[in-house]
Amino acid sequence: MKRLLFCAVAALALLDFAYAEPTITLGASVQMTGRLANTGRYYRDGYEFAVQTINDRGGVKVGGERYQLALKILDNQSDVNLSVRQYTQLLTQDKVNFLLGPFASDFALADSSAAEKYEVPMIEGGGASDQIFSRGYKFIFGTLPVASKYFESTVQAMSKLEPAPKAVALLYADDAFDVAVAKGTRERMQADGFRITQDERYSSNASDFSSLISQMKAAGPDAVLVAGHETEVLNFIRQAKSLNFSPKLYSFTVGVPTADFRNALGHDANFAFGMTSWLPSASLKDDYFTNAQEFAQSYQKKFGYEPDYHAASAVADVEAFVKAIEAAGTLDPKKVRDAIAKVDFESLYGRVQFNAEGQINLPQVVVQVLNDGVVPIYGQKGFQNKPVYPMPPWEKRP
Amino acid sequence: MSLFLQIIANGILLGGLYALMALGLALVWGVLNIVNLAHGAFIMLGAYVAFYLFTLLHLDPFAALPLCMASLFVFGYCLQRYVLNLIVRAPMFNTLLITFGFDVVLTYLAQITFSADFRVVNPSYAGANFTLFGVTLPLVRVLAFAMALALTLAVWLILARTPVGRAVRACAQNLLAARLYGVDPRTVYGLTFGLGAALAGAAGDLYAVVSQINPYIGDPLTAKSFAISIIGGLENPLGVVVGGLFLGILESLTSLYVGSTYTDVVSFGVLVLVLIARPQGLLGKTT
Repeated sequence: MKRLLFCAVAALALLDFAYAEPTITLGASVQMTGRLANTGRYYRDGYEFAVQTINDRGGVKVGGERYQLALKILDNQSDVNLSVRQYTQLLTQDKVNFLLGPFASDFALADSSAAEKYEVPMIEGGGASDQIFSRGYKFIFGTLPVASKYFESTVQAMSKLEPAPKAVALLYADDAFDVAVAKGTRERMQADGFRITQDERYSSNASDFSSLISQMKAAGPDAVLVAGHETEVLNFIRQAKSLNFSPKLYSFTVGVPTADFRNALGHDANFAFGMTSWLPSASLKDDYFTNAQEFAQSYQKKFGYEPDYHAASAVADVEAFVKAIEAAGTLDPKKVRDAIAKVDFESLYGRVQFNAEGQINLPQVVVQVLNDGVVPIYGQKGFQNKPVYPMPPWEKRP
Repeated sequence: MSLFLQIIANGILLGGLYALMALGLALVWGVLNIVNLAHGAFIMLGAYVAFYLFTLLHLDPFAALPLCMASLFVFGYCLQRYVLNLIVRAPMFNTLLITFGFDVVLTYLAQITFSADFRVVNPSYAGANFTLFGVTLPLVRVLAFAMALALTLAVWLILARTPVGRAVRACAQNLLAARLYGVDPRTVYGLTFGLGAALAGAAGDLYAVVSQINPYIGDPLTAKSFAISIIGGLENPLGVVVGGLFLGILESLTSLYVGSTYTDVVSFGVLVLVLIARPQGLLGKTT
């Protein structure tokens, strides 16, 4: 009797094994806790949503066979060193097929070395710094536009304003991304004939900008460009208000398009300029999510908060892998890597195509917060809406 | 010239905020010889209490101060009485370990409960400012500075003039003699730690108005408070004010003359110098 039971169980187990879906595992180390968790969650949720939706629509076709996507996400607690160890673990112990990237350039910079060492392609949607892509690595691809060009649309828009700002102050945090942004912006502004009154680098996680703001108030620039993190930008705006500093224009690399940033500041967020490489528009069609607007609505319903370009970038990473694997017809890392280098498709994030260094080429749209909402101002085709320039001083704001 | 005055004014106000943050840590360290590595986490909790009182009950942050302080006092008292008391006479290393453990636990509990979203307390007067002799002074920072001075004075008065304060100082000076006089050290330690936590709560309340809150703001604040306590000296509550002002002004001047990215280098560099040249702190007495 016992023997019969044992055989039955063994047979069932074998049957189960025979019907197991072949899977492709994507590994990632994302900031789910720690000081970057606020943005890291877009990547965790974006990856999960993409994998789930792609699986629901039939998964991935590899040379005639259907594969399901599986995701293995680890929490790096916003610690770069832990992130590198986790990627190494994903590759050596968990033996994942391919890698998805973390958020933040500092992390992508370090983690991409693991991908390069083990020759497994990584597509990351969280690091824009040129430093990541200027080392001649073959196995790293990025879906955030080049950091040095972040302010390009803004500078272009500035030269077309009436009266154009002449003196500009540039502030940037001391991490890989912001330093790269500042370098590109500086060169661009010098080429376009702007006078740079302040070119200040500050410690990341600075919470006190009073000194910098007072110095800027004394120097009186027309425009202020800040490359920093959301919490720093938040502090900057609040302290600018409390020190009564109001230039004609200020623009920030992050924060402005995000909903909880605007919720935190309330009306104080108005008139701030920012940029985004993505807006949830119905004109961005996608093979799995219909279009960007549908994606944004279902994302909000599923996760309870609005997605922004981070989430869209994460989805684009997963889709890029799917397209590349299907094109290569194999799971061999080197062949898939070559296929990724050649992808060119339209997605809810925009056109996904990587340049020779491995970075996507997407222009930033200049946006401004008006009446507590984000309004696109200037894109590739010029002005889309009229900006409010100059910004009204604090005491004259409605 | 007016830029220089503005920078000094910024430094003084920043110093006031720093002093407020460091007061609780210095008190507990100076009296109980416990370095509370979870001090920043207490500030973070005080800030969240203020945030929820503001958002749910529309309670003005200054009106919420007594509530923040009271809730953190109770929390600190219970923590000391039932957990820290077990190791209060153990080697210093154990208290560091246990308070470090609190720090980690509190931070991650906050992440789970409140999420990592950053919050602000944004009352209508958050951006208000006034001008004096060509210098713009943000209202909230001036109030925080006044609060820091008032609380320091209150702590000093409690320690110097009240029976409870005398009991606390007695325990710090000679525990055996204090016990012979009928002082119950468990209650006294609990009250002191509770007071330290209450002061952290007050700092958190104001921090939420001046800056932003998320579960991870604690650690840099603990480090700053630690530096200020050492620079100012642990003997005298006024030392914290002096230490805070010194550091605030120094950081402001560094930002103006050297570069904003060097402020941390200068702060902790000064800490090292003080430890070498005058380890008892600026206001400490040479024994």
